[in-house]
Amino acid sequence: MIATIPSAALLGVDGRPVAVEVHVTDGFPGYTVVGSPDDVCRESRDRVRAALTSSGFKWPLKRITVNLAPGGVRKGGPGLDLAIAVGLLVANGDVVAEAVEGLGFLGELGLDGALRPFPGVVPMVAAMAERRIVVPVESHAEAAIVGRHEVLVAARLNELVECLKGEAPWPDPPLPPEPGPLPPEPDLAEVSGQPVGRFALEIAAAGGHHLLLSGPPGSGKTMLARRLPGLLPDLTGDDAIDATRIRSAAGLTPPGGGLVVRPPLRAPHHGATNVALIGGGTAWMRPGEVSLSHGGVLFLDEMAEFSTSVLDGLRQPLEEGVVRVCRARHSVSYPARFLLVGATNPCPCGEGGPRGSCRCSEAARARYHRRLSGPLLDRFDLRVHVSRPEVGELLSGARGEPTSVVAERVARVRTLATERGVATNAAIPASRLDELAPLEPAALRLLEFGLRAGTLSARGYHRLRRVARTIADLAGAGHVVGEDHVGLALSLRADIVSTSSMAA
Amino acid sequence: MTGESLLTPEVEAAAIALASLPAMGPRRLRDLVFEWDPEEAWSRVRQGRAVPSLGAEGRAEGRRCGWEQGRGASAAELSALWQDASRGINSQAQWEVTRAAGVGVSIIGMPGYPPLLAGDHQAPAVLFHRGNLATLNARRVAIVGTRRCTHYGLDVARELGRDLARAGVAVVSGLALGIDGAAHRGALEADRTGSVVAVVAGGLDIVYPRAHRALWSAVAANGVMLSEAPLGTPPERWRFPVRNRLIAAAAEVVVVVESHDKGGSHYTVVAAEERALTVMAVPGSVRSPASAYTNGLIADGCAPARDATDVLVALGLSTGTSEPATAEPSNASTVTPTKSAGTSEPVTSSTPGAASDAAPPRGLDVSPDGSGSSVQTSAGNAPGRAPLSMLEATVLDALGWEPASLEQVVTRVGLGPLEVGLALAHIERDGWAVSSGGWWRRTRR
Repeated sequence: MIATIPSAALLGVDGRPVAVEVHVTDGFPGYTVVGSPDDVCRESRDRVRAALTSSGFKWPLKRITVNLAPGGVRKGGPGLDLAIAVGLLVANGDVVAEAVEGLGFLGELGLDGALRPFPGVVPMVAAMAERRIVVPVESHAEAAIVGRHEVLVAARLNELVECLKGEAPWPDPPLPPEPGPLPPEPDLAEVSGQPVGRFALEIAAAGGHHLLLSGPPGSGKTMLARRLPGLLPDLTGDDAIDATRIRSAAGLTPPGGGLVVRPPLRAPHHGATNVALIGGGTAWMRPGEVSLSHGGVLFLDEMAEFSTSVLDGLRQPLEEGVVRVCRARHSVSYPARFLLVGATNPCPCGEGGPRGSCRCSEAARARYHRRLSGPLLDRFDLRVHVSRPEVGELLSGARGEPTSVVAERVARVRTLATERGVATNAAIPASRLDELAPLEPAALRLLEFGLRAGTLSARGYHRLRRVARTIADLAGAGHVVGEDHVGLALSLRADIVSTSSMAA
Repeated sequence: MTGESLLTPEVEAAAIALASLPAMGPRRLRDLVFEWDPEEAWSRVRQGRAVPSLGAEGRAEGRRCGWEQGRGASAAELSALWQDASRGINSQAQWEVTRAAGVGVSIIGMPGYPPLLAGDHQAPAVLFHRGNLATLNARRVAIVGTRRCTHYGLDVARELGRDLARAGVAVVSGLALGIDGAAHRGALEADRTGSVVAVVAGGLDIVYPRAHRALWSAVAANGVMLSEAPLGTPPERWRFPVRNRLIAAAAEVVVVVESHDKGGSHYTVVAAEERALTVMAVPGSVRSPASAYTNGLIADGCAPARDATDVLVALGLSTGTSEPATAEPSNASTVTPTKSAGTSEPVTSSTPGAASDAAPPRGLDVSPDGSGSSVQTSAGNAPGRAPLSMLEATVLDALGWEPASLEQVVTRVGLGPLEVGLALAHIERDGWAVSSGGWWRRTRR
């Protein structure tokens, strides 16, 4: 007999519907799985067998063939266990086919017959066309997020069979867990001094501009960067769903189990590999850090310590907001629109400062900075030097503006941007700059100077105008971008690499 | 090209071959050449009979210079080493390569050796040169300093080089990164042949550092390049103190522009003092580590070199009397607030009102083309610059002459980043300051 059970598999951050066909026939007893399963999928045989027998069912001593259709797509992960078990039960006659009609099944099985949660619930559920889905109890919250389905839960395989037979009512879905108090986000008021650093943070948050902080150890770069997500408004709509899907696909349950609402902060260690950052590892193409920070902040501490190939891999997501990973069998694209914050020392010894003031020779500095390639540096709209706070500032205990106050200004500017019809000021297309960010004549003259002096490239010119737009919005200026806004934008775009050659 | 040599090819070839032996330092070479003439010395080396009397001093010198093979070698070992190495040296081929490259060879005690160096107690036994040896007949000033210099050091070195060259002085330096290179670039700017003398550690064909490739050719074309090492010798570490000695030997006055507490300039200063030369130092900020040694020299009694005039006075080429010093700094610090602020003017200036270039800055008495006043007129271009506003003046004052970051300026001025950012942008556009790598500094130009 053949049973066909709808289920789903994960590829990247998207689910793919899978039809699990189980064929049981007379013949030499054996069990074969076809349809490009990965190792974990293959192991399902042992799990299903143990679960079945633990639940009191007989393992059919017949020729069993399981097909995971479509056959050419690689399927990974343990989420297909339940569908295989149910298919087996139907094919064996333990459950009638009508009982499972219109139902989809997702779940991992424990050896004792318990249904276990598994990564990727949200995208997998989203991919299923069936209106009613059975998932393990712990996955209910995630499955419910998608909103389109009636989600039924079961805790054990034998209980599930009873419900299917109609002998017992379906258990009530668990109450959504109390969203526990979110861990307190760090507050900007804890940063002493650093007027320019804080202002740069505000601009970055308000306009979505990528920020590079350069300074000696102890100058507060990490502190500042970690306070950036707190300034960003809550995620809404598509962004929230995308972020939730991605977290789910990575196997990270959103805190509180529900929709991801606060913009995430990801801070990978500089030893991270290309795959860890961009994604594509494991059979089901796990999303990388750039995707996990979608809608939030990707913080690269010690940027110069990252390998150059890893940093170069950032260019596509920064430019396009998605990352496309191609493997021999398939290519997957993940959303990856994030705010990039980099922290770097100004030179190998860390002290930095103008030339000649630290232990490093010009050659050592040049070598150090070569790791941050020109094109990558160019994508930072804001490049700011921070220095160690003065002792007096540290000890005085005077606190700067708290996150809540700054976040309000940031939210206001972000609203202005949406009113203009763009996601953020940083996303204003070059063609609309004149319309949305017109310059007053004095401002234009100032920019001309930079262009003529060769310190400003064409792309830099456009980026600068966007930053100036954000500064103007923060200052409450009107539609026209003024000279002072452009002036500050120019000052905030310091060349981190000293462009003066070794020649006099 | 050095033109026709006064020595026979055989002698030159022998000298080149001797100089290219391993474990052959300046002292051993001198001993050899004094003992026998080059040709005989070379044939003795090949026979294994060139055992100069190496006293305890000779061995000590060997250890000090850290020769790998010759460290504490006995005379017999050395002799064997040299004989072995001599088999691999084709003196004729080396000589041809040297001639073809336009490099001349001078041997101490023989015709063609620069008389200037002949009297030196550590005169190089074999000297390689490219360019015009007659450059050494001019008045000579060495300008040396650290590779890890500041922009200030670079500017000062270049200006010194330029002004001294304009005054007819030859600038001696090492072609290293930083101060040395800047000094020579300045000297070449003066556009007068015979104004540079470069002394390098390796062979004259090995351009080091690579970044100075163009400078090498320019220097060789303008003046003269010297080296104690034959062609093809890499600039090994131990050759640099030797080269610094030669710089001192070739100069009358040594000016150290910037140096950290530990640096190669020390050798040059010590060598200069041994030769009773005048050592001068350029004062710098007491906060700048690059001026630590130079300020220390001044504290110990060296004359400060504020500009080329000071150096020319030390050379005896100038009496130093010229316009009062106040005329010069006023070019940079004179600002014209748009509001007549009266007593509340934040910026100190000695001559309020439009910056005047009417009073020629403290310039040079001796300038062949009378262009001394153009030395600093670039600062006096006030007619082209818009007057500074109150805010800009404040920011410029807060900037100071040392490089400052945006954050430092904001903290010093006590205003918001918006206003300070705009003021800095204006100041930079108008040429009062220049920024690089996120650091702003005032400039005179």
